[in-house]
Amino acid sequence: MASTIYDSSAPQRPIIDPFVHMWKKRGLIGLLVGRDLTLRYKRSLLGVWWTVLNPLLTTLVYWFVFSNIVPRSGEGEAPFIVYLLSGTLLISTFFSQGVVAGGSSLMSARSILSKVRVPGEVFAVTASMAAAVNFGIGLIILAGLQVATGWGIPWTVILVPIPALAMLMFVTGIGMLIASAAIHFYDVLDFVRVLLALAIWTVPTFYPLSFIGEDLLLFIKINPLYSYLTIFRGFMYEGTFAPTWNFIYMGTSAVAMLLLGVWVFSRSWKQAAVRM
Amino acid sequence: MSEPSILAEDVSLAYRLAKDMAGSMKEFAINLLKRQVHYQSLWALDGVSFEVPKGEVFAIIGPNGAGKSTMLKVLAGVLPPTSGRVIVRGMVSPLIELSGGMNHEMTGRENIVQFGTLLGREPELMRQRVDAIAEWAEISDFLDNPVRNYSTGMTSRLAFAIATDVQPDILLVDEVLSVGDEKFRRKSTKRIEQLMEAGATVVLVSHNLGTVRRMSDRVMWLERGRIKMIGPADEVVDAYEASI
Repeated sequence: MASTIYDSSAPQRPIIDPFVHMWKKRGLIGLLVGRDLTLRYKRSLLGVWWTVLNPLLTTLVYWFVFSNIVPRSGEGEAPFIVYLLSGTLLISTFFSQGVVAGGSSLMSARSILSKVRVPGEVFAVTASMAAAVNFGIGLIILAGLQVATGWGIPWTVILVPIPALAMLMFVTGIGMLIASAAIHFYDVLDFVRVLLALAIWTVPTFYPLSFIGEDLLLFIKINPLYSYLTIFRGFMYEGTFAPTWNFIYMGTSAVAMLLLGVWVFSRSWKQAAVRM
Repeated sequence: MSEPSILAEDVSLAYRLAKDMAGSMKEFAINLLKRQVHYQSLWALDGVSFEVPKGEVFAIIGPNGAGKSTMLKVLAGVLPPTSGRVIVRGMVSPLIELSGGMNHEMTGRENIVQFGTLLGREPELMRQRVDAIAEWAEISDFLDNPVRNYSTGMTSRLAFAIATDVQPDILLVDEVLSVGDEKFRRKSTKRIEQLMEAGATVVLVSHNLGTVRRMSDRVMWLERGRIKMIGPADEVVDAYEASI
C-alpha cells in the first residue's frame, strides 16, 4: 500500500495524466455509466425503455411536422423517417444531451468530490459515454427502421464507429470545457442550452439540405456538426463516403476539442470543491 | 522507515468569495463593465504545519469555523491547498459527512458497490463484500430497497460500514462518532478502535473533548485557521478547556 501516496504538490503532466487517471478508473467509469443509464428512468413505469423511446418519439413529432412540408423527390432517397431519426440520434441524443450532461457533471458530483478523492475527469467522461451508449441503443432502432421501410442496411454500417468515436471525443471535450466554466458561473448551462439550439438548427437534422439557400450553405458547412452528420448518414444508410474535407474537419475538431477540454478541465476541476 | 504518514507544510487554504456578485455570468459581465469585480478571500487555513507519525491517533479541536473540517478535507485530497503542501502516505478511508456519499435513488446493494469503488476499491471485490457489509450495518433485509426509504440511522450505518470495510492505512474521522444512537456510537467506536489497533493512523475531528482525551495521542488546537497549540492530548485539551 506504500504505492498510494497523495502529494498535493506533485507535478502533473498536462495532457497525459488526465488520460492515465481515466484509464486507471475505468472500472468506476463503467459502473457509473451503467448507473447513469438505469437511474435516470428508474422511477418511471417504462424504465430503461425510455432510452429508446425518447429519440423515437421526438422523431415522430418532427415527422408529423416536416413530412407535409418537405417535398420528397422520391427516387433513390432514403425514407424521411430514417433521415430524421439518424439526425436526432447523432445531434440530439449524442451531442446535445452529452454536452449538457458533461457540462453539469462536476456540479452534480460535487457532494462526492467534496468527500472522496476521485479524479473529476471520471464524471465528465461518464456523462459523454452514457450519451454514446444511448446513441448506440438508438442505432438498433434505426437499423430496424431501415429494414422495416425496405431501405436496407449497407455494408458501410461497420464504419459507423468512426464518426461515433470522433463524436465521443468532441462531446467529451466540449462537456469538459463547459464543466470548467460552470464552476465559476452557475448560469453557464443556460447559455449553453441556447447555443446548443443554435448549433442544432444550423445543421440539417430535421430538414433536408435543399431547404438551405446557396448564400447560407457556407454557414451550415462551417458548423463541424455538419461533417459528423454527413459522414454518419453516409455510413449508416446511404452507403456512401462523405467528401474528404468532412473527414479532415471531423478528425481535427474531435482531437482539438478533446485535448483542449482535457487540458482546461485538469487545471480547474479541483476548484469545484473549494467554491462554495 | 520513519517517514510520517501525514506531513502538512505551511498549508493555507482560501475560499474565494465573489463580493457583490452571485457568481452568474450575466452579473459578472455587468460588473465587469462597471469595473466592480472584486474577490474576497476567506482564509480557512493559514500556515498550518504538522506531522503525524505512522500509527498515531491525532485529534484536531477548536471552535466552529476554526478550519478543522477543512483541514481534514485537505488531507483527504479533496480540497487542494492554496499554498503549502500535504503528503499523505497510504490508503485513506475518509469518514467525512458519510451519509452524503450515498445515492438515495439507488438500492443499498448498488450503493455498496458504487461507494466502495469511489473509495478506490475494485467493483468485483465490493460485490463479494455486499452481504458482510449489509450485515454489519443491519440492513440485510432492505438491501434491495432504495436508500431514500432508509432511516437516517440506517443510511449512516451503511455508509460507515462501507468506508470501514477494508483496513486503511489512514483513517480520517469527522464527527462520525457523534451521529446515530447510543448503540451505533458504541459499535462504530469499537470498529474504529479495531482499525487503530491494526495499525491505522487516525486523524480525528471532534467536539467531544472526552473522546479526544481518551482516544488520541496528540492534539492540534486550531483557531481561525491557525495553530493555537499542538502537543500531548491532555496538555492541549486542558489548555483549550481553560480558554472556554
